[in-house]
Amino acid sequence: MSMEASELQDLSDDADYAASQQQGSASMMRCDSGKRSSPSEHDDAELIYLKDNVAIHPTQFASERISGRLKLTKQDSVLFLSWIPYKGQTSNAKLSEKDRSLYTITAVPFTEVRSIRRHTPALGWQYVIVVLTSGLAFPPLYFYNGGVREFLAIVKQHVFLARSAEDANVFLVNDFQSPLQRTLSSLELPSSLPVASGQYPSDGGTSNDNQGRASADVGNRVSSVNQYGLRKQKSHDPTRDLSIHLLEKFSLVTKFARDTTTQLFSENNGFGSIDKRWNNQPVHSYPEKLSNIAEEKHQESPHSYLDNDPFKDEEIANNVDVPDDPLEVNKLSLVWGKPRQPPMGRKEFTAFLDSEGRVVESKALRERVFYGGIEHQLRSEVWPFLLGYYAYDSTYAEREYLRSVKQMEYATLKQQWQSISPEQAKRFTKYRERKGLIDKDVVRTDRAFEYYEGDENLNVNIMRDILLTYSFYNFDLGYCQGMSDYLSPILYVMENESESFWCFVALMERLGPNFNRDQNGMHTQLFALSKLVELLDTPLHNYFKQNDCLNYFFCFRWILIQFKREFEYEKTMQLWEVLWTHYHSEHLHLYVCVAILKRCRSKIMGEQMDFDTLLKFINELSGHIDLESTVRDAEALCICAGENGAASIPPGTPPSLPLDDIMLYPLEDDVL
Amino acid sequence: MPSRRRTLLKVIILGDSGVGKTSLMNQYVNKKFSNQYKATIGADFLTKEVQFEDRLFTLQIWDTAGQERFQSLGVAFYRGADCCVLVYDVNSMKSFDNLNNWREEFLIQASPSDPENFPFVLIGNKVDVDGGNSRVVSEKKAKAWCASKGNIPYFETSAKEGTNVEEAFQCIAKNALKSGEEEELYLPDTIDVGTSNQQRSTGCEC
Repeated sequence: MSMEASELQDLSDDADYAASQQQGSASMMRCDSGKRSSPSEHDDAELIYLKDNVAIHPTQFASERISGRLKLTKQDSVLFLSWIPYKGQTSNAKLSEKDRSLYTITAVPFTEVRSIRRHTPALGWQYVIVVLTSGLAFPPLYFYNGGVREFLAIVKQHVFLARSAEDANVFLVNDFQSPLQRTLSSLELPSSLPVASGQYPSDGGTSNDNQGRASADVGNRVSSVNQYGLRKQKSHDPTRDLSIHLLEKFSLVTKFARDTTTQLFSENNGFGSIDKRWNNQPVHSYPEKLSNIAEEKHQESPHSYLDNDPFKDEEIANNVDVPDDPLEVNKLSLVWGKPRQPPMGRKEFTAFLDSEGRVVESKALRERVFYGGIEHQLRSEVWPFLLGYYAYDSTYAEREYLRSVKQMEYATLKQQWQSISPEQAKRFTKYRERKGLIDKDVVRTDRAFEYYEGDENLNVNIMRDILLTYSFYNFDLGYCQGMSDYLSPILYVMENESESFWCFVALMERLGPNFNRDQNGMHTQLFALSKLVELLDTPLHNYFKQNDCLNYFFCFRWILIQFKREFEYEKTMQLWEVLWTHYHSEHLHLYVCVAILKRCRSKIMGEQMDFDTLLKFINELSGHIDLESTVRDAEALCICAGENGAASIPPGTPPSLPLDDIMLYPLEDDVL
Repeated sequence: MPSRRRTLLKVIILGDSGVGKTSLMNQYVNKKFSNQYKATIGADFLTKEVQFEDRLFTLQIWDTAGQERFQSLGVAFYRGADCCVLVYDVNSMKSFDNLNNWREEFLIQASPSDPENFPFVLIGNKVDVDGGNSRVVSEKKAKAWCASKGNIPYFETSAKEGTNVEEAFQCIAKNALKSGEEEELYLPDTIDVGTSNQQRSTGCEC
């Protein structure tokens, strides 16, 4: 195929673009998906293949499967793949139109496809996984009526399809290099990120007010960018279009922020801390008594960023042109992120309870915790509510009863492994392996923190017992590294073995998927993070894309253990109780990621960090992130992103409960 | 022309959880041992300058999580490795038995151009524990395994006491350099990924 033909093929999928080209006004490119027709609907497009009852399974629950129609179309000699979910045929009312359209695949040209993996088990459904050249992958497409072989045969008639030398089930698309060299792509499959195209119904499915329209408009633009990512290299870059659009949208906000701050400063009414933040200087404060537990890992390393403030932008080398931040986060957070109050004390907490101990307004309580946290001595009473171990409308007496019942239940569970004799253990490899892993990890979990320090520390043994009991309670999940990081503050706060266990169980109900064997919970969160960055900082997203950083593995530790290694102990507890309120969003932790990345964006792009450098840089931020300003930024970003932000996060992304399970927790009122 | 030669050597340390990967790396780079390393989450690396025949190299040593569950991340981290260090604990038979898995997993995920000759180095760590009395994997057994895998160099170390760590890493650096030089023979100094991508997509016959 000639160069010109390739140029054409890249653009042929967008009728508006083609039209604007003909009019010689390419700069007025429009991406309104309400007007754009996909090639399959276009007159010139030729239908090559059509398969009904091809489904995706966003979660493990049968009720959430989405069926649709898979199509191959051809236009200007380019083959396109699309998958459109059926309308209004869902068996599950909970699955909204938005959820369904999030996964819609609209006309992806095969030039963007790197490989197709087929999975044709003897039992169960056949499926294929389509991996894009960007490294992202669509969720598995299940062929309920079979026909994967036929599908591949038809693809093969239109594009060059080569079987991977390493894996007979992987077919490389348009791979003209040595198949041997390219097997890497096939092997990346298990870790590939699922892609949802992020197309939203143009009516937004919400109110008709201006706000709703504006959001839907952004959504459409996002979707058009996703689906035609190939054109991003071209001069008429739809991402530019998007960022300009976002800039317009948020410049109003920034202007508002600027006006507000000017006013604040002119009134000179004691906003000293804001003044500091305004100057982009994070406030570092480490209480004396806790400074000894600051990350020992980062004492010294030759290429350390610690010498200079990682958030400082001034020292950018090479005069690299860093694209502007479409959302100036410090300014936004002044408008939308509220300053933290002092932590909630007992008197205040008691005021939330009725005479029998019920939390009258759980939302008000969660709001209070969100904006100030909890005094340490009170944490053991409030955390069980936040974690979902106590029901908000339970009485003092009911909780008392619950504790005693759960204590007996815990003792029974603990007996299960305590009764294993050495003889039995010899024949119980799985038990020995788990115990070995746990033994190794508890002795290296927060040992510098006084509650766990010293030889023969009993709290370390309790931590071991709880984790081992949990690995029997949830034998399928077992033990995974990172769990001890979660348990450590819980045990420190609860100071009671059984209560700590049940709080940990409640936390794992939400975050257990982080530790799934297939790492699916992590991949969905990293994917959602990439979507949020794309929405909230398109230039940074593009930078990551160009530098092969879209897998966001550099944020892996942040997400796996919710920043436990990034802040010192007390700050981690403060952050966790804020995250656990689910006040603005269940996924505030992802906005925290975005907030930190945005604070470092100039450094990252200015120094042109590659994946390795970025990973190192992010790891070394540990101990240098200011919690308060970051949470405030995250709050502002979360509010700014609004519906579009929520729509960027696929349903069921941890810590969301799987949809089917929500009814098991009816007491969590408006926590959805 | 020689100005374009590679100076970064990438080394990956693999092995079961708790065998001492982080400790070995820190002992070699920082000459320090701590009882309080945490379990590694995700991955991290340290760098150290090494000199060979008047040439200066940066050794980039990658430390990864040891639990099997995190292996799928390897793809992102193993890419472009010049040498792989397999570590086991001489006091743990299981950590030795798992070496095959680690080696195979690495070859699959890193997919080096010449898997047969890709340089591995084996380290049996924690020889100091209990004065050697709790040892369960003999040197003979370890060496036999190395021989069966194409004569992998073998070192017995104590990251805690610093025994043999420097020697092991010198060998690792030398092997990484060797594998790097072989690549230099048939790869251009710089690979323009953008161009090769373009060639691939425009080469389409459809």
